Amino acid sequence: MLQDIKILMKSLSDIDVRIMLCKSAFEWELLAKKYNALRDEIEAFCSSGLPEDVQTALEKTRAYLVEKKGELPPLDLSDFFK
Amino acid sequence: MGLIKNIRDAVKKEVRDYIFQMVEVEKDIEKKPEQPVSENVTNIEVKAAGPAPEVEEKPVVKEEKVQPEKKEEVEEVREKPRKKEIYPIANNLEFVRVSYKKNQDLITIPKELAELIKMLPLEEYACFVKLYCFALEQRKNYGYWGGTLKRRIGLDQLTTSEFEELGNNLAAYGLLLLEQLTENQKTFVLYVPFDEDTMVKLSTAKKPEKEPEKPAAKKAEKPAPKAAKPKPEPKEEPETQHEEDIPGKMVEGMENDEMYKSYKTFVSLEIDKAKMRVGRANFDKIYMEAVKYIDKKYGFKVLSDSDKFKEYLTNYYISAFDIPTFENWKKSKG
Repeated sequence: MLQDIKILMKSLSDIDVRIMLCKSAFEWELLAKKYNALRDEIEAFCSSGLPEDVQTALEKTRAYLVEKKGELPPLDLSDFFK
Repeated sequence: MGLIKNIRDAVKKEVRDYIFQMVEVEKDIEKKPEQPVSENVTNIEVKAAGPAPEVEEKPVVKEEKVQPEKKEEVEEVREKPRKKEIYPIANNLEFVRVSYKKNQDLITIPKELAELIKMLPLEEYACFVKLYCFALEQRKNYGYWGGTLKRRIGLDQLTTSEFEELGNNLAAYGLLLLEQLTENQKTFVLYVPFDEDTMVKLSTAKKPEKEPEKPAAKKAEKPAPKAAKPKPEPKEEPETQHEEDIPGKMVEGMENDEMYKSYKTFVSLEIDKAKMRVGRANFDKIYMEAVKYIDKKYGFKVLSDSDKFKEYLTNYYISAFDIPTFENWKKSKG
């Protein structure tokens, strides 16, 4: 179990690194999908409840993602109004 | 006369030799009955001189031509059952994404499930059982459907299309739920009867409903973004009153409403005007605030769903730049 959660946490820190390098909305969307999938996987793995450090790490990555989305150029809505 | 006699003797000798050779070959055939006929025929061709080869080549050629036809016929016979229409063996099964509480020592198939799957054809049955074992091994009954899964459940020998077909068949029988995430990504949920003692319920997967056809252009712009939400979180559902105000959100029966189209254009222009008014730097700050606000209020999954995010972002701009809502705008238009 310890080994598995370590692998999952490694994937989470990989996402953290890639958020820093992310430069486009497309890349961001891929990372967000990865984060969602990983979060689901971790929640499924720790079905009895998330350990506090894992919860903190997930929230931290989420905060990075939100911050990054805000830093990227505003989304173009022109096609949305067509 | 002497010359004719010599020729006759020579011909007799040739014929006798030929007959002896034939007799020897026949003896060989009797000694080796398992040897293929075509080889024997070749031996005759080599040993026999004169006109014999031309006559005896024909059956060999004939045999080669006939064999592929027979194979095709056999393949056709094998393929025929696949084309049959599939009727579900179980209706309205609840597809629940579950995770197993702990690793199981025994792989047990509940009786009701065993009763159901015994009605499956051999290949589908095997695939289901393999998936069932895999679900227990990975401690969850859902995941991505594709080459990796095919390899991990030990169906390497199948081609991708055959595996796809198996999945579709199982879905048609009502024991598997396949969801198309993107053009190339699919997820599956395997039907397992829920057991409180050994499983934890994560979410309920809904069967895809037949949606009304949308215009082709619109489909191309938005490649199935909503299907990418395997687990809807109820706490993150937006409030109904906000949804009504969202200009991008189609209200039923409004799609062809000229008034609504005008309003959308109006909102778009108002946002552009506001962008010019506040300046690029300030607009970026407002966008950042919008992102944080949407994440806080509606949840992260809305942020990662580009369509929903656009809706809520528009809504945010409407509030931030004091753009009239649709109802107010309509009233002002009289």
